[in-house]
Amino acid sequence: MAISRRAFGIGLLAASAMGTGGYVYLRQHPEIAGRFGEPKKLFGFIGGEKEGFLSNARVRSVLDRRFGLILDARRAGSVELVRERTLLDQKPQFLWPSSSVLVELARSSGVKISRDQVIFNSPIVLYSWDRIADGLVKAGFAEPAGGPRYTVDLLKVLKAIIAGETWEAMGVAGLFGRARIVSTDPNKSNSGFMFAGLVASLLSGDVIALDSLGKIDGDVATVFRRMGYKPPSSGKLFDDYVAGGAGAQPLIVGYENQLIEWVLQDAERWKRVEASAPSKPVILYPRPTAFSAHPLISVDRAADDLIEALLSESLLELAWEEHGFRGPLGTIGKARNALLQTRLIERIDAVLPMPDAPVMLSLLDRLTTA
Amino acid sequence: MIPALLRWLAVPGFALALGACSAPPGPQFTILSGSENDVLEPMVQDFCKSRRATCTVRYQGSLDIALSLKPGNDPEADAVWPAASIWIDMFDTARRVKSVKSIAQMPVILGVRRSKAQALGWVGAKVKTKDILAAVEGGRLRFLMTSATQSNSGAAAYLAMLAAGIGKPDLIESGDLDRDEVLATVRGLLRGVERSSGSSGWLADLYRDGARGGTQYDAMWNYEAVIKETNDKLIADRKEPLFAIYPEDGVSVGDSPLGFVDRGRGKPVEEFFNDLQAFLLKSETQAKIAATGRRVELGRATPLPADKATNLDPGRPLTVVRPPEPAVIQKALGLYQEALRRPSLTALCIDVSGSMQGNGERQLLDAMQFLLTPARTREMLVQWSKDDRIIVLPFSERVQWIESSAGDDAAQAALLAKTMQLRANGGTDFYTCGARAISAMKQWLDDERHLPAIVIMTDGKSQGMMSTFEQAWQSDGRRVPVFGVTFGDSADRSQLDNLAKLTGGRVFDGTKSLTQAFRAVRGYN
Repeated sequence: MAISRRAFGIGLLAASAMGTGGYVYLRQHPEIAGRFGEPKKLFGFIGGEKEGFLSNARVRSVLDRRFGLILDARRAGSVELVRERTLLDQKPQFLWPSSSVLVELARSSGVKISRDQVIFNSPIVLYSWDRIADGLVKAGFAEPAGGPRYTVDLLKVLKAIIAGETWEAMGVAGLFGRARIVSTDPNKSNSGFMFAGLVASLLSGDVIALDSLGKIDGDVATVFRRMGYKPPSSGKLFDDYVAGGAGAQPLIVGYENQLIEWVLQDAERWKRVEASAPSKPVILYPRPTAFSAHPLISVDRAADDLIEALLSESLLELAWEEHGFRGPLGTIGKARNALLQTRLIERIDAVLPMPDAPVMLSLLDRLTTA
Repeated sequence: MIPALLRWLAVPGFALALGACSAPPGPQFTILSGSENDVLEPMVQDFCKSRRATCTVRYQGSLDIALSLKPGNDPEADAVWPAASIWIDMFDTARRVKSVKSIAQMPVILGVRRSKAQALGWVGAKVKTKDILAAVEGGRLRFLMTSATQSNSGAAAYLAMLAAGIGKPDLIESGDLDRDEVLATVRGLLRGVERSSGSSGWLADLYRDGARGGTQYDAMWNYEAVIKETNDKLIADRKEPLFAIYPEDGVSVGDSPLGFVDRGRGKPVEEFFNDLQAFLLKSETQAKIAATGRRVELGRATPLPADKATNLDPGRPLTVVRPPEPAVIQKALGLYQEALRRPSLTALCIDVSGSMQGNGERQLLDAMQFLLTPARTREMLVQWSKDDRIIVLPFSERVQWIESSAGDDAAQAALLAKTMQLRANGGTDFYTCGARAISAMKQWLDDERHLPAIVIMTDGKSQGMMSTFEQAWQSDGRRVPVFGVTFGDSADRSQLDNLAKLTGGRVFDGTKSLTQAFRAVRGYN
């Protein structure tokens, strides 16, 4: 049967419209496009604390099968990944640091941002060991919060460190020398960067501003100098903490999700630790603390789809359930894990906002030259 | 859509095909590792075998591994496994190393011959670094320790001594390194160094060979696990074991990090690395690693029980010396090399026989140029200090001349100018050169201030008799070690091996790079 020219033209038009419409639809729904098209490969740098999440086989499978995305994500310090030329010159398609302030810093480093969006939130906490926490409670620096979890008066601890108090004077027996809290390098990694902001704000009595920096920068520098070597990424510092034990890492700065992730990685190991380890890891929630947002910055438009994918309910729930990241608003997910229930504080009210980017940059400069 | 459909359809078929034949061979995979990991290599190789992968483990000092990671350098390896992650963090500024995880924790402690520990009153006592200093200053203790600038265990021992010398062992800050009394204390401690080396594993062998051959050393700074390995062998030889001293005021700990070097070899190589790392970290493997005396991460495996006889106790909680800032470490290492270590007394017997003519002569002069150019040796942290003594003895069938010089820059330049005039000619007799070296060193050997060594570089077979050297060496009685460096195809290694064996030295292969071999020797002196 012959097709009339008119019918052929309409058919062609319809097919073309369907094609275009389909293309547009698939572009707007990467979760469907991923099922059919070739997977899209994206290269970028991420803060070390998210390495576990992105190497999770379930996460990779969802990204690949549902969204058609395969990531080559390399660990770097959150601060250096938005500032260091050696990293930015490698033309990453996305950056995933751990603080909203770092989006501003990326922009001032000349990074052309296609989109940015907070994906997770995680409070900054202190990690320590039960016997050390008990000592800090006795000496009035910390309070138990029901179960092996604590809140800590961070300002009081900082003042003791600045005064050069020994562990012994802070109620902790068996540790030699002066007390210290160790964070990551604030010039490279976000947990150290945020801790610097938190310390500066606490010591000044309010969210630190440029004109009050000069009053407290010496004290902030003392806290950081007392740390000695500061690892370049949060993941590495936490690994050092669990590997080194109470003698090597008595008190460190980290993200709340890091212990959750470590426990969930190997539940049997955690049960062994709880049953028989000479000292057990505990979380001390600073009062007040700061929330670390984890904004995904897509540099290449091709990476915009990654934002949608990461905000999908299934990945957010996986992020909480298996890695302990709270959602974009700081709330926890649906899953409750018996292994961790008594160790986490669900609602955190005393939160200090981070200082502005110019203040933070000025603070970092002062810490570098101190 | 069709290719995607084909992809879906292909999956079951592929799975079947996979089931039908054995797994594909794994990649060629190279690991650059510290020598302390050699006892773990069989576990690595078992894993590689299970994946039909060909794995090569190349052993290097921590500084060499670190330098290979500097931007612009090629480590020629897919993974690095140094003794401590600070070496990666300080030098891998382009972040080529990823997925770094600690495989074991290795404190650096002092192993003291048990009877010596008893005599010092250290058995059952709490020992602090100041007690060690007092024993060294009183002439009651000498020890073996690797070079702080070439090997992590030496650096760790040195930093712990430095921290204790400062009097606040919780941290070393930059300003501390300018204080005269701190430098005097540490110089005093380092006077206790009886022998040094560029490798922790080789140092342990030296201790054991000494015990077998009747040369008893007092003590050795090394990893807790290497002290245990040495003890296992000493006990098997019915020799006296080392008694573990954990200084109460703090020890340094190596975290044995294994990291992937991304060289763009593709996903399968990276996945192989991830699986290898996961294999090394799983409970069964960690239990085997713990059985070697290493400490492993919390909850992964039970540490070895304490051993009363040797005081080794990998479960014992430790006060750990916090590593200082990288800039402070660099300053401290520079100070060690230039001012604090026991000065070297080095006699260089260099072969200028006729067989060296042409390429050999050129490479020898290049290597000497490296060795006597402070800007180049400083880059590799093997620079001479003004207190060092350098004696050059060019030899053919006879020693052509002997020139002795201090280690300051001007003296090095004068020595280099004279050396550059050398031209190859004549026969080869390094035994006579070695004997002449002993007598040239005598005036400095007597005051025992220097750490002596004879380096013999040769491309041939020596005429003359070994007894010529042996008589001079025995009559001096100060156990000066001989280090051989071979060059060219016709070098007779066996003659140098015999000298090294007699004197507790080592032979280095200079055929690939004479400069590298000379540099490596500096780590031993």
